[in-house]
Amino acid sequence: MKTEHIRNFSIIAHIDHGKSTLADRMLDITHTVSERDRKEQLLDDMELERERGITIKSSAVTMRYEFEGQEYMLNLIDTPGHVDFNYEVSRALAACEGALLVVDATQGVEAQTVANTYLAVESNTELIGVVNKVDLPAAQPDVVAEEIEHIIGVRKEECFYISAKSGKGVEELLRAIVLLLPPPENLNDEPTAALVFDSHCDAYRGVICYVRVVAGSLRKGQKIRLMRSGRSYVISELGKFTPQMTPIEKMGAGEVGYVIANIRNLSDVTIGDTITDEAEPAKKPLPGYNPPMQMVFSDFYPGNNTEYDELRSAFNKLALNDASFSFAPQNSPALGFGFRCGFLGLLHMEIIQERLERENQIDVVQTAPTVSYEVKTSDGQIERIDSPSEMPDRSAIEEIREPFVKLEIITHADSIGPIMKLAEDRRCNLLKTEYLSTIRVMLEYKAPLAEIVYDFFDLIKGASRGYATMDYEFLGFEPGNLVRIDILINSQPVDALALIVHRSKAELRGRKLIKKLRQVIPRHQFEIPLQVAIGGKIIARETIRAYRKNVTAKLYGGDVTRKMKVLKKQREGKKRMKNIGQVEVPQEAFMSILDTSD
Amino acid sequence: MIRAILIELKQKSSYRPFATAYLGGGSPAILPRSLLFELIDGISAEIPADAEFTIEVNPDQVKYELLKDLRSLGVNRLSIGAQSFIDDELKFLGRCYNAQTVEMAVNTARKAQFENISLDLIYAIPQSNSARWRENLRKAIALSPQHISAYSLCYEPGTPLYADLKKGNIRQAEEETDRQMYEITIDMLARAGFEQYEISNFAMSGFTCRHNLTYWLNEPYIGIGPAAHSCYRRVRSANVSDIRQYIEKIRHDKNACIEWSELTDEQFACETAVLNLRLSDGIDVKRFKALTGIDVSKAFGDVLKKYTSLGLIEEKQGRIALTGAAMPIADSILCDFSSFYTEPD
Ligand SMILES: Nc1nc2c(ncn2[C@@H]2O[C@H](COP(=O)(O)OP(=O)(O)OP(=O)(O)O)[C@@H](O)[C@H]2O)c(=O)[nH]1
Ligand SMILES: [Mg+2]
Repeated sequence: MKTEHIRNFSIIAHIDHGKSTLADRMLDITHTVSERDRKEQLLDDMELERERGITIKSSAVTMRYEFEGQEYMLNLIDTPGHVDFNYEVSRALAACEGALLVVDATQGVEAQTVANTYLAVESNTELIGVVNKVDLPAAQPDVVAEEIEHIIGVRKEECFYISAKSGKGVEELLRAIVLLLPPPENLNDEPTAALVFDSHCDAYRGVICYVRVVAGSLRKGQKIRLMRSGRSYVISELGKFTPQMTPIEKMGAGEVGYVIANIRNLSDVTIGDTITDEAEPAKKPLPGYNPPMQMVFSDFYPGNNTEYDELRSAFNKLALNDASFSFAPQNSPALGFGFRCGFLGLLHMEIIQERLERENQIDVVQTAPTVSYEVKTSDGQIERIDSPSEMPDRSAIEEIREPFVKLEIITHADSIGPIMKLAEDRRCNLLKTEYLSTIRVMLEYKAPLAEIVYDFFDLIKGASRGYATMDYEFLGFEPGNLVRIDILINSQPVDALALIVHRSKAELRGRKLIKKLRQVIPRHQFEIPLQVAIGGKIIARETIRAYRKNVTAKLYGGDVTRKMKVLKKQREGKKRMKNIGQVEVPQEAFMSILDTSD
Repeated sequence: MIRAILIELKQKSSYRPFATAYLGGGSPAILPRSLLFELIDGISAEIPADAEFTIEVNPDQVKYELLKDLRSLGVNRLSIGAQSFIDDELKFLGRCYNAQTVEMAVNTARKAQFENISLDLIYAIPQSNSARWRENLRKAIALSPQHISAYSLCYEPGTPLYADLKKGNIRQAEEETDRQMYEITIDMLARAGFEQYEISNFAMSGFTCRHNLTYWLNEPYIGIGPAAHSCYRRVRSANVSDIRQYIEKIRHDKNACIEWSELTDEQFACETAVLNLRLSDGIDVKRFKALTGIDVSKAFGDVLKKYTSLGLIEEKQGRIALTGAAMPIADSILCDFSSFYTEPD
């Protein structure tokens, strides 16, 4: 197909504004999916996506669309809206000339709307403004279009009003895509260069690369080279997503599809790499991507030491399909052998955790997530620390640096006060306040990641009756007055409970933590002291009282079965606990670090 | 119903000779004399002449004539549900007799030639305290029974007491008070010559309750009558509890059992361990192996190691037993014996 008849576009938006639903309607109108195969959010095909009703991974699909007697090829990429999966959006945008920026007519512009707009601008993507859900009684399309003009810079007259649910306005939108979005550049005669913008691993066929051909062409049987890794392969199959994989013989410049070339390991393909022709290679690779940045780290230990190998193979399997998840062996004096895992954010962590449990049925004990720090040691070395327990001795530290982000919050004007108060408590520095309209405001902060990555979003939601949305972007590491808090259970320091906090908050956090631990660690047959130490000095103590009386007074024949059940239940409660010294510590204890409430 | 019970008794006595008999489960003494005697006669016929044969009575049911007759029919052990020697505690427990009745009952029993008398007592009653409990024990000891069972008050779901507790009308004794009273019990009874042979049971030398030991040793026993439980050849079973249904079933099938479960080797070993450990003598390692086919030190190796190191379990002379420190908090330990143990780590 001629490049002038191709349009490549992404659908981007804040969470739940209707991207996947809009994709459904486009698939309907273009008859890409047969009546029989129709279902809601068809492109969300992972089990977890369907259960949670959110998009986690981008999906590409090729549609045929006839306009004024001419057939066009429309390549659509549906993207996730959640902040953790931002990088999916950048990847998708790099494979497109245009993007539909969808905004919910009842919600207006929100934090991820703004963040995604920045990404689109950075990658020189042409934007079409789309106001969705106009069928809802609470819809205020004009007000929202005004916001779009004001914040995004797309003129309100040029916004499309649609209902992705009913299909109203979607036909017009398809026409606009053909008319308003630029076709890809015609580089068919140049040496082959195709961008790998995503990949997944199939148990039988190996790695499947999602590609956008930028120049030249790809065909079956072609000998290709991945320019960054330098490895060569032969294309065994290539094709389109319709949305299932449909093989074709050849793909020209501007087209989007997949390539299978007997690549066994996901790690052999870097997302952002360039595929070129082995015999007639491109001069230089296409600009790639920055690898997604892991924001939080957490240790996973098998609930039972014998399951270590099973846990490793489970992680291997997960990493095979998720290049942004990492794991490495970790050995904790308190918890034994396990793995340090890196995630893009808390939602990403939750998803991995859920898949681990669901697909493998392994009991795990997980430590509270932490951000990573940089430590400058006295000999001038800079070390990356993503577990507080790895923090070197105080005397060997010159400075500790923590990650900072640019934080954007969009909220109603009447909740500014409480939100600013929360941000201040979390050591955030206000950079900018901007009124999006008379009643909606965008606050921009420089914030320590550790202060906002766990519960902050819930807090600002709470402070704004659910209105506030936020997004953040990594800025860099900066020195801070940070200290490590150690927790001792039964006089034994527990590495998995150590945490790094700002000195101004250290004592309070430590006290809260042992108060919480006192509630979650069950009583034992002996008294258990809980202590907080900073720099080796004990600053607080709580005590878990010992059992004094815990025995069934009467137990005769007829009571045995019932009593055994009760005892089993009492024991069941200990199952997911870790033995630290003689103390059985439940999973929740490790998570109590996160609980900063009073 | 007595007819049905006698039929069941005849039927089940063919399994294996009975070594002891226990007539309890409420107040058998309220039965009309003729029926009661017929029942006891029937039981006596199935057990050896010198076998322990206990009947449960409430203090206010004790009449010299009745006891004399029971004694002559072969009953040789009397378990008196005294509960307390303090009037307002008795009232709280819903008993319609007073402390004096209890004392009289014991004296009457002795007059009727009962030489093996047991008293049930209850502590940790909301209005009780250490002084009152000591008083209770003193009075009990003064009557020189051969056996005392002392139970901490328990609130069983479904009872009025439980409902009152949930409604907040009464307050459960503090854990610490409960513990203190338990310690007082052990201490005072020991000084009076009683030996603690089970968590809640104390006996003068030679007067342990043979019948109840069967349960804690996890030996087979046969329950007869509505709602009775049995454990025979690793099968735990229970009779239907509705009296009319019970009679019906016995009449038609000679059997009133409505639920049974065969224990796996693991379940049986775990039960045996939990029950044995309630005894001061604990688990007899050899006997355990012979009974269950399982090596106790292997099956519970980790948990034994753990509690031995905490001084809560002692192993000596082929026995594994809870230490004195462990008895008051036995459940927190026994739960680790409820299934084969693998150390959480
Ligand atoms: N009434 C109405 N509801 C809509 C419309 N479009 C989408 N929805 C609903 O909005 C919810 C979110 O829709 P999705 O299409 O999953 O949103 P999304 O933007 O893909 O969400 P993420 O992928 O999680 O970011 C669903 O319940 C849809 O049914 C619309 O035009 N009108
Ligand atoms: Mg979606």
